[in-house]
Amino acid sequence: MKKYVLRRILVAIPSLLIASVIVFSLPRLLPGDVVQLMLEEKAYGKDLEELREKLGLNRPIYIQYWEWLGRVARGDLGESLWTRRPVVEELLRRLPVSMELGLLALFFAIVIALPIGVLAAVRQDSASDFIARSLAILGLSVPGFWIATLVVLLPAIWWGWSPPIQFTEFSKDKWAHISQFLLPAFILGIASAAAIMRLTRAMLLEVLRQDYVRTAWAKGLREAVVVSKHSLKNAIIPVVTVLGIQIAQILGGTVIFEQIFGLPGMGRFLFDAINQRDYPVIQGVNLIIVSVVVGMNLLVDAMYAFLDPRIRY
Amino acid sequence: MDQHGRQGDLTRRDLLKLGSAAAAVGAGAHVLDLARPSAADAQTPKRGGTFRLRSHVAPVHFDPHQTIAFSTMIPLSFAYSRLVKVKAGSSVVPGTQPIEGDLAESWERQGDTVYVFKLKKGVRWHAKPPVNGRELTAEDVKYTYERFLTTKTNAANRAILEMVDKIEAPDKYTVRFTLREPNAWFVDRLASTSTWVVAKESVEKFGDLKSPESVVGTGPWMLQRYEPNVRISFVRNPSYFVPGLPYADGVEIVLSADPAAGFAAFLAGAFDFGPEYGMVIRRSDLEVAKGRVKGLGTRDYIVVFGGFTAMKLDQDPFKDVRVRRAVAMSDNWREVLETNAWSLGQGAPNPLIPAALKDWSIPIDQLPAEGRRLYEYNPGEAKRLLAEAGHPSGIKVPVETTAGYGPDWMDAVQVALKNWKSAGIESDLKLKEYGAFVSSSLLGKFDRMMLTLRGGTTDPDTYFTQLLPGEALNSSGVNDPKLTDMIKLQRRTFDEKKRREIVFDIQRYLSQQVYYAYSASVSAVAAWMPYVKNFGPNIGHDYGGRLMVAWLDK
Repeated sequence: MKKYVLRRILVAIPSLLIASVIVFSLPRLLPGDVVQLMLEEKAYGKDLEELREKLGLNRPIYIQYWEWLGRVARGDLGESLWTRRPVVEELLRRLPVSMELGLLALFFAIVIALPIGVLAAVRQDSASDFIARSLAILGLSVPGFWIATLVVLLPAIWWGWSPPIQFTEFSKDKWAHISQFLLPAFILGIASAAAIMRLTRAMLLEVLRQDYVRTAWAKGLREAVVVSKHSLKNAIIPVVTVLGIQIAQILGGTVIFEQIFGLPGMGRFLFDAINQRDYPVIQGVNLIIVSVVVGMNLLVDAMYAFLDPRIRY
Repeated sequence: MDQHGRQGDLTRRDLLKLGSAAAAVGAGAHVLDLARPSAADAQTPKRGGTFRLRSHVAPVHFDPHQTIAFSTMIPLSFAYSRLVKVKAGSSVVPGTQPIEGDLAESWERQGDTVYVFKLKKGVRWHAKPPVNGRELTAEDVKYTYERFLTTKTNAANRAILEMVDKIEAPDKYTVRFTLREPNAWFVDRLASTSTWVVAKESVEKFGDLKSPESVVGTGPWMLQRYEPNVRISFVRNPSYFVPGLPYADGVEIVLSADPAAGFAAFLAGAFDFGPEYGMVIRRSDLEVAKGRVKGLGTRDYIVVFGGFTAMKLDQDPFKDVRVRRAVAMSDNWREVLETNAWSLGQGAPNPLIPAALKDWSIPIDQLPAEGRRLYEYNPGEAKRLLAEAGHPSGIKVPVETTAGYGPDWMDAVQVALKNWKSAGIESDLKLKEYGAFVSSSLLGKFDRMMLTLRGGTTDPDTYFTQLLPGEALNSSGVNDPKLTDMIKLQRRTFDEKKRREIVFDIQRYLSQQVYYAYSASVSAVAAWMPYVKNFGPNIGHDYGGRLMVAWLDK
């Protein structure tokens, strides 16, 4: 098991290196010049060149990349071109917010998807299966930001109530802090829940038709034992793979949800940085996102080995 | 010697009627008039409470000399002061810009190029490090404007005061500006919300003024806390130099990016003012808001923002004025307003100076017949003009714009393209990403035609910039010596009435030349909770000035 995990970590390193090249070069391919943006419309030529030099943007891109990579290795993601604040400092403040939202969304996705998926499989073609599948299709097809907008707007129009849009820190008010995440995390989790639920149902149906499950039924075991002990563990392996993909999707979704619900996380930080062509921030946030996704996939791979003892690469 | 300083409730036009002698007497006599509410609001002001506002964008940073971003200038308007300011209160008509002293007690023009400002005595900086409440002096003002003019990254703001040659501080309370050439708009330009007076100690301690800790001013509120992307909190300055002001103990700006969430929070009572820029709400939301908030205060006003079309004057087919007139004539500005959620048909067509600037924008009915005709949508006549110019089957041109101004702007673009088409102007739309658009098309790097927005500045003279050769924003490439002379002449004309006539003449002339085709500006609805008193919305970013004289009557 240790050897397997170690191998996966070694494979992750080139992935991260390739990602770092993409993360560094893509923002620079965006049309628009950060120096021009910083000096806005009325800049004079001399000022532009001076600022470009001051920001180190006048040097060849590969030199900029090499220096950046060296700093990253030392845990330094550079400074924001606009605020001159260290990107790491800004990220450390925002990362917990995005992680909290993402993990809570994942929690909701699992809590909603697994029981409904199991129920739909066990009661195949029943009314509950039909309702569960319909809801899953709805969850997959309706964009989360649209649901979020309605959830925010309609109660305000009907009852004069809206979810809080002022962020409250945990240290100030624990309940207010947690409650402001519930609604966005629930909505964000719905789309992922739909995908997980459909896969859980399909996988479980397949496993329930296996000979060893039939044997379990023949032994006279209770339904709960047959499903949870003999079937679910095998059915869940592909679901765990999908969970890894869903984490990336949820992280992407936080960009819009943080905008709507006023959560000061990485998504909002990234959105502003893209608009301002703040290269170090864009690079820093994307590198963190890539690292989280790679890390979570690593975790998924490790869980594979735990769930399925046959897996030995 | 011309007494230029004026105070009190009177508008510039009122003062012109009364004559300069009366103005001189009036100067300094009504220092506290800015706090006087209109009759409708007449009641005893109440101290206390916190104003709650929404801003959809966070400040770029807090250094007023390194950005022109409104998202920076709005928060700074609570904490800083300038020499002169635009008067505020419910009696001020939106779109007018009556000027009164802020840090300046009085001012006078000596000759054509020298302005002497006498500062109020006893003005103290916020009691915060590194300035720690010391008295403001003329040296501070000198330092500020020298920094304003010499900071490399202040290219955009520099244009506001580029006529300044020299700044002197002959004594503790006197500042003397010497201009390179006469400019009758100088004092108006000093009222810009980019000209905040800053403390040297802050710059020295922090290197620049970008960090929130460096915000130490002399304004009515002090910056207490900035949580990036969350909120900006201000607390009342107990030593503010106007006794009794401000009324509110604090101001809280919530940074919330989503417009639907902002409106929902407004309906739920989380904000005291309309959630959009300018404290407005969309007209399409007005009925819902009135139904939910009983006694909601509202006031309509024309915004300075408006669309315009730039055309490359050195390229075919726009060398020909008949083609440019055909473009203007095929712009159905009424339809643009009708399809806009902010205005629902309410608004005004713009000549060169936006209609929002009531005192300086020429009414369309005062344009010459040829100019007036171009504001009437007439695709048939536009086709005839194109045929006369040698394009009987119409023209096909590339048009650049950006979706970065938001969906409302793109609605207006669709209307423009549709109506051009009906007049035989086939457009090949090229959408540019906002950053690329700002750094190329706006600076004239486009192929023949560009559709964009203008506005934001409340000083009429800045709108002439796009007509002067050599200016970065002269995107059409205007080079008309007659026009340049007229623009320079109005800058040298101190008599306001005569200057207005020249400004009107320029607009009359331009309405026929169509170097740019100006579309309409929407009439927005400012909204505030019924318990907010003596609040008067206006154009510009001076939120602090407007809220300083308002109070909460809860």
